[in-house]
Amino acid sequence: MYWVSVITEAGIFAILALGLDVIWGWGGDFDLAFYGYLALGSYLTFVLTIGKPTPPVQYILGFHLPVLLSILLAVVVVVGLAAVIGAIALRNLRDIYFAVTTLGAVSALYLLVENYTPLFDGYNGVYGLINPGQTALNLTYNGYRIVFLGVVLVLLVLAYLLVQRLSRSPFGRMLRAVREDERAAAAYGRPVFGAKYRAYLFGAALAGLTGGLFAIFISAFNPSAWTPQELLVIYAAILVGGRGNPRGVILGVFVVYIGFIELTRYLPSPASRPDFAPAARQILIGLMIILMLRFRPEGLFRERPGLDRGPVPPAPAAAPASQRAAALPGLTSEERARREGDASKAARRRAGKTERVGKTE
Amino acid sequence: MTTFFVSIGIGLSTAAILSLSAVAFTLEYAVSRIANFAHGEFLTIGAYAAYSGQTIFHQNVAAAAVIAAAAGAAAGLALNFGLIEQFRGRSAITVFIATLGVAIIVENVLIIIYGAANVTYGFGQGKLHHVGPFLWTTSDIEVIISALAVAGIIYLLLQRTRFGKAVRAISQDRALAQVSGIPARRIIMQTWALAGAVAGFAGFVLADTVGTFGPTLGFGFLLLTITATVAGGLGRPYATFGGALIVGLAIQIAGTYTSSAYQLVFAFLLLVLLMLFRPNGVFVRRSAVAVRA
Repeated sequence: MYWVSVITEAGIFAILALGLDVIWGWGGDFDLAFYGYLALGSYLTFVLTIGKPTPPVQYILGFHLPVLLSILLAVVVVVGLAAVIGAIALRNLRDIYFAVTTLGAVSALYLLVENYTPLFDGYNGVYGLINPGQTALNLTYNGYRIVFLGVVLVLLVLAYLLVQRLSRSPFGRMLRAVREDERAAAAYGRPVFGAKYRAYLFGAALAGLTGGLFAIFISAFNPSAWTPQELLVIYAAILVGGRGNPRGVILGVFVVYIGFIELTRYLPSPASRPDFAPAARQILIGLMIILMLRFRPEGLFRERPGLDRGPVPPAPAAAPASQRAAALPGLTSEERARREGDASKAARRRAGKTERVGKTE
Repeated sequence: MTTFFVSIGIGLSTAAILSLSAVAFTLEYAVSRIANFAHGEFLTIGAYAAYSGQTIFHQNVAAAAVIAAAAGAAAGLALNFGLIEQFRGRSAITVFIATLGVAIIVENVLIIIYGAANVTYGFGQGKLHHVGPFLWTTSDIEVIISALAVAGIIYLLLQRTRFGKAVRAISQDRALAQVSGIPARRIIMQTWALAGAVAGFAGFVLADTVGTFGPTLGFGFLLLTITATVAGGLGRPYATFGGALIVGLAIQIAGTYTSSAYQLVFAFLLLVLLMLFRPNGVFVRRSAVAVRA
């Protein structure tokens, strides 16, 4: 049973990582608000299913809706929040500015949830969603856990197939072209903001879904479940597996979650230093991020060979809005009719140049 | 009205600490063109170094401050040599993520050494003083005076010395500075040491003002620092002091009239607004739409 729960957790995080990889791996936007979407999805799944709060516990809504409907609603709200944050952060801000803005947004959300108890009972958090559907399906506790693992794995396969398809679609190529060189992509008529925005919402939707699954999996959620460190583990997993490569990302999550959590279980944790093992684990995560970035930024699995290159060139600044608008009408119909691939090839050529210039800066 | 002036007084003291941290952050950015996410850790290291040193030097505030600054300088040198220079030529966001990794490592090393629980200095806050309409403790006054002194020193260093001239040249264009005979590597090293020292000192005053602190002290202060830096404009050391003043006063006044728990929420909202409308700082007449990090 222990392994069932470990694999279930890794499966849930693999879905989350696939979502994040669309934003960061393909879109190139280092999003620090991402774990907030999981948290919100999780909180909402709770308050929509567990019924009215009994004082002194307090939280909003408190409905008794079916779990599947609740997760769906949670995803809708999460995408709504992502639509607001994305609209602010993605329009003109890139790189560090984008990262800091999303960090600011998620920190504000975190403090609000922690301090404003009527929302999700502040620091205590919400709990009480215990194995929904167990009686209806007539399962034992262990049986339920195994069925849930099956559900998670099926969802993971579905998410993988969807992402894989998306990756090869014109949309996926457009997103990468925008990542490599926004100016070139815009010159080929690609909507820079639109592409990034849609990717952002898609990623957030997966995070919302993961939040719902996570709610069922751990049956309690409070602010200590979504500290900033959690997100770093996901980034580390993507880096290890191979940024931009869905198969690599899933593998990375399984390697980092299972390999790591299992190996570090044997770290000594003396009674006088109860903090030692968790702290040592965080140190290893940090080291892993730095070493991967330094020595193998493309990860174990490269982003699809032949179509794209591993290391990220310095992302160019966003073209001023006026310039973007001016670039669009100038397109001739032949240019527009060109195959999608050309844009990404041109983008890559240009990106190669930027990289060299960037080095002398 | 009294409440208002008291909150302005506290705001000025917050702004003083913030300006120290922010000016160090902006100096790092100016020479290396990277946003250092491990900057908060310089503050934490300074605070803990002073904590370790206070027993040796029998609660001498000046000695503790010097130890904090020295530890911060060492941390700055180590980060620049061990990480920033190793990642030269890589994109700004890659270095940013790497420094995030450093932040996690330092925070947890400190947890292993000192434990996750909060610790407290043995220095008192001193008596309360009425200065004009404001109400300050002795340490508040010391903080404000030392921030002004550091501001003065940095101004003189940057404007009146060869070192300052070199820093300004490198922040304009590192390659060009190098071909003009400026030893860029060495100057950047020295700048990181200076920034680390200022940040370590800021960590000490921050910890002393807050009263009790833990390994997340600096990380919690980082977003405020970044907000102040962005308000001033990244890479502009003088404007940063103005940015710190705006942010320190704004959150303190907003916090006084709502709840101090929401102080940081206001800071983040302010940050988002700045990013939206003034990403290059409030002192630039017209912000460019495109921002290059």
